[in-house]
Amino acid sequence: MFTKDIFSWMKQSTKSAKFYIFAASALFAFIIPLFFSDSLSIRVSTLMALFTIYASSWNLLATSGQGSLGHAAFLGIGGFTSSLLALNLDVPPIIGIFIGALFSAVIGFLIGLTCVRLKAWFLGMVTFGFAVITETLVSHFDEFTHGVMGFRTAPLVPLGLPFYYLALIIAISCVIIIYYIMKSKIGLAFRAIHQNESEAKMVGINTAKYKLYAFVISTFIAGLAGGLYAHFLRYIRVSIFTPANSFEPLMMSVIGGLGTIEGPIIGSIMLVAIDSYLPNIDQLLPIVHGTFVGPYLRLLGLGIFLVIVVIFLPKGVSSLLRKTYKYLRSSLKEDKK
Amino acid sequence: MIDSSTLILTIMWGAAIGCIYVLLATGLNLIFGVMKLVNFAHGELLMIGAYIGFTFVTALGVNVYLAVLLSMGVVALIGIGVERLTFRRVLGAEKLNEIFVSLGLILIFDNVAVLLWGDKSKRLISPFENLSLNLGEASIRVDWLIAILIVIIILIALLFLIKKTKIGMAMRATSQRGQTSMLMGINIERIYVLTFALGAALAGAAGVLYGIIFPFDPYVGSLPTIKAFAIIILGGLGSIPGAVIGGLLYGIAEQIAVITLGSIWRDAVAFAVLIIVLVLRPEGLFGKRGE
Repeated sequence: MFTKDIFSWMKQSTKSAKFYIFAASALFAFIIPLFFSDSLSIRVSTLMALFTIYASSWNLLATSGQGSLGHAAFLGIGGFTSSLLALNLDVPPIIGIFIGALFSAVIGFLIGLTCVRLKAWFLGMVTFGFAVITETLVSHFDEFTHGVMGFRTAPLVPLGLPFYYLALIIAISCVIIIYYIMKSKIGLAFRAIHQNESEAKMVGINTAKYKLYAFVISTFIAGLAGGLYAHFLRYIRVSIFTPANSFEPLMMSVIGGLGTIEGPIIGSIMLVAIDSYLPNIDQLLPIVHGTFVGPYLRLLGLGIFLVIVVIFLPKGVSSLLRKTYKYLRSSLKEDKK
Repeated sequence: MIDSSTLILTIMWGAAIGCIYVLLATGLNLIFGVMKLVNFAHGELLMIGAYIGFTFVTALGVNVYLAVLLSMGVVALIGIGVERLTFRRVLGAEKLNEIFVSLGLILIFDNVAVLLWGDKSKRLISPFENLSLNLGEASIRVDWLIAILIVIIILIALLFLIKKTKIGMAMRATSQRGQTSMLMGINIERIYVLTFALGAALAGAAGVLYGIIFPFDPYVGSLPTIKAFAIIILGGLGSIPGAVIGGLLYGIAEQIAVITLGSIWRDAVAFAVLIIVLVLRPEGLFGKRGE
């Protein structure tokens, strides 16, 4: 009886089904600490929420056809701004993270002014280069940023459950905001630009304007993620600008499903889980050249996985879920006949 | 103020590094010109080339400069594998996909190299290790000069291949109009494989030369790739002379930035120049509008 009820809403319009799936996942995320309340699980769940924010911001930019290779710059700008404000001016971090996000968006706007005119690979280069320049500047003005050695950041809320719920609420808000942006005229313009920029221009879309919008919104959210991340780690240094941090949201979005709402969420859950739980088997693996092979094997596997996803599953892992869902729906309809 | 001997040293040092960038940028330019493919993992072929040279030198005891040739061959084979298994499947579809595949390849190559050779930094010891040429007060390692010479020979051979042979003609035709050249009876898939292998071979040579001049580890490939791209953008997409002049100037400019501003600025200056150029001319210094 009960399963029939579940399937009956699946048969309704997809819009409400989407809403229920989202609400159920959000609810699940809220109650999950009831089942896994050890500190590692909560830490991992918090990281998943943080990376959901970060990967979603990258994904939003990619939706408009702009693949950034230097998003760590904005993560770091958000993180450093908020941490330095708390350190020097005693700004409460809860306000600081939003100032950091705003500052990141301002920088994003300035960089975006250049980037919106560039093609995919030029844009990749410029954003990558911008992350390198930011890292250099932060190291250069060390007496102001204290970035080279790093410093302990102020607490935002107590780590553990309070931080998890804060991160979760912000992540859910970001996802909802991005969902409504993607549903709006702006989102339509993004997708049009992604598919064919010159045609989008031809039908009267001001492509530069919309690409700049994408840049500003995306860097704002990335800066917010950076602030949260810095206060979560309770530590920040220039290493936040590493290319690895720039590629992380890319891999999460692409593996999860590029240009979808759920893609970055699924991707960040998968990648954070792999990063957090797979090291447990590292001791079992042999030692080669004096180092544990575990971390390298993981990255190697990730690389192979990324290539396979791009080639064979261009819409990411989430497209598998969609297919399963559609299959379930259609098989239900057959039953009715 | 820089005195003249430091200046000569800087210029020579920059030219030696520039030569490596020239090889990388030429290979990338070739691949981009013919296949319209953006391979961000090109520098990983340089890194693999350095390790393959290292293996030849340590395991078989071959001369490092012979290892340049051997490494070119092996890396070309690796390039064929990479092209057939990955890039061919995403070619021509979405540009972003090529970037994603490249990033996957970077992860694969870096970590395979760590697993095979370890992550400690290594060097290729040349027989002329301690030999240097004295020019006034500056002394220049003979290896730098040999590296420059080898690059010149490779570039001349490449130019001959492109301008004088039938394969080169087919490559030029494919780069101008892929579809039309297919209609003219050129097997463009074979040209793609050949081009990629050629670009990979250049990266392999660059790798061994890099290993002779610098210590290297598995992560050495990424920055030179990005710099090679910067050089291509500055020198013009698809233009080999642009890549050569751009590469040399870039190498020298980078060294001058290091001695005047300090070594943390090595990478940032390059990108600053790149961004400024792209702000002024979004299609690159010598790029055509609409390309």
